[in-house]
Amino acid sequence: MIVLQDASKVYRTREREIRALDGVTAHVEPGEFVAVRGPSGCGKSTLLMAVAGMARPTSGRVILDGDDLYALSPRRRAAIRARKVGFVFQVFHLVPYLSVWENILSPRLAGAHATDSEARLVAERVGLAERLSHRPAELSTGERQRVALARALLNKPKLILADEPIGNLDPENGRAVMDFLAEFNQEGGTVLLVTHEDLAASYAQRTLTLERGRLLPD
Amino acid sequence: MSVIRLLFREIEYRKLNFALGLVSVIAAVALPVSILTMCDASNREITRLMRNLGFNLIIVPADTNMSDFWDRQYADKTMPEAYVTRLSQSRTLMIQHLVARLQQRVEWRGRKVLLTGALPEVPMRYGAQKSPMDMPIPKGEAYLGFELANSTGLKAGDALELTVNGRTRKYRIGRTLREQGSLDDIRILLHLHDAQDLLNMPGRVTDIQALSCYCKGADLSTLRASLAKEFPDTRVSELRTQYLVRAETRATIERYAAFLLPAVLVICAVWVGLLALSNVRDRRHEIGILRAMGVSSVKVAALFLGKAILLGLVGAAIGFPIGTWIALKWGPHVFPVTAGKFAAETQYLWWALLGAPLLCAIASYLPAMVAVTQDPAEVLREE
Repeated sequence: MIVLQDASKVYRTREREIRALDGVTAHVEPGEFVAVRGPSGCGKSTLLMAVAGMARPTSGRVILDGDDLYALSPRRRAAIRARKVGFVFQVFHLVPYLSVWENILSPRLAGAHATDSEARLVAERVGLAERLSHRPAELSTGERQRVALARALLNKPKLILADEPIGNLDPENGRAVMDFLAEFNQEGGTVLLVTHEDLAASYAQRTLTLERGRLLPD
Repeated sequence: MSVIRLLFREIEYRKLNFALGLVSVIAAVALPVSILTMCDASNREITRLMRNLGFNLIIVPADTNMSDFWDRQYADKTMPEAYVTRLSQSRTLMIQHLVARLQQRVEWRGRKVLLTGALPEVPMRYGAQKSPMDMPIPKGEAYLGFELANSTGLKAGDALELTVNGRTRKYRIGRTLREQGSLDDIRILLHLHDAQDLLNMPGRVTDIQALSCYCKGADLSTLRASLAKEFPDTRVSELRTQYLVRAETRATIERYAAFLLPAVLVICAVWVGLLALSNVRDRRHEIGILRAMGVSSVKVAALFLGKAILLGLVGAAIGFPIGTWIALKWGPHVFPVTAGKFAAETQYLWWALLGAPLLCAIASYLPAMVAVTQDPAEVLREE
């Protein structure tokens, strides 16, 4: 599903050069649940963004479901994201002025073809059927993350990229979110999870450890 | 979920941002509409006032070749001097200044000069008397144009000798004239009767200037017809002075508007642009997640440009009636003569409906590009 071939990403500032990724080579098979762990600033999020097609590596290749992402135009990469990838972030990134229902439906803006009844099923699945008319500000943090999950699931993605999805949640809500991701994985979806939480990592079948942009051997 | 729905939801959510933009657009529409409406009224006012001031006419012999006349600035035919006296006795015409002239090009000191004999202004027998515009030229004296005085070194008090067709006359230079930048600079002015004597044309004049000529309730054509009836062997033309004054006044107003209107529009555009930029900053996470989900840059740009166009349309729809109201409310106080003719200028509504959205879209273009080009990865990594 995901292939990273000697991927490096270097950020240059006036004073110094930061190697966020340093020759990372990794494979994630379809249907795998993989956690990426490591200390803060080790390049976990950069790796996730590179896999999403939103951070072009300075060198190396990123192949997603057979597509060499950075050989494609930004438009094609966006289309691939819209079709195959769902996102879950630590800070949810919900659109504040849209209701829960509208937030769940927002992937339609990118061309997702989910019907209303499919969207309702997704909302029910994450336990938000009663909260559809509410705005994000009226929800608890756990509920907000479940909205983000429902939004990520709407376009029936092959891959979910999750960046610290339970970083802002209490253990109970954290477990609930991880259960949904596990359920998605059990149905055949691939999950690439960036976390420093043991609870989250415990759901993964395999863990990649990054340190100063380098992948440590298993 | 569509761009339009997102657009309206965002406006509803960030009412203040939209309201601030709207106030600016309303001002940018209302101000020009009120100014332009008042400019139109002002033009009407000037036209009306100028009409009341009367016409500046020149009366020449009927057989004058007008092409030559406008070219040479004098008629080559003559008419009786007595016409000026008849005109001054008219009961229907009100002429504030009546000047009879005899003009001819003559040779003087090896150059062509324009000899002009002018009769002191003849006062109207009926109606209010006006003080003459020019000092009358005393008999025996000559007034010398700037160029002639300058090139010959002659000055007031010197003697001037003129010879035309073998007739030589001497005059005392009464005054030298200031530079005019016109034909007046090569003119020698004499009393009409001195000029008639020198040119051997007693009792003849080449033209009569009837300045600030007014015939109650009459327009120029009526005035001309009335003069033609009274003096069938003459023709009447309007001097361009009035048109020039009107055009100059109008140009002054247009210059004023030409400075003010762009200034208002630029201020509005900058304000709308800054608000749009602030809006982009407020929505960076939203834009980031939309881009991450695969929403195209065109749709992201459409969110901002669509909002700008809507802002322009609503601003124009509200700004036009406000601008018109201001003009209708205050205009009649500024232009009392044409107060009754103040009306909504609907053509400005169409301009506003077209121009305001365009202005807002142009002002929001840069912020929209900032939104489109922002790096979603960078934004989404923020905690």
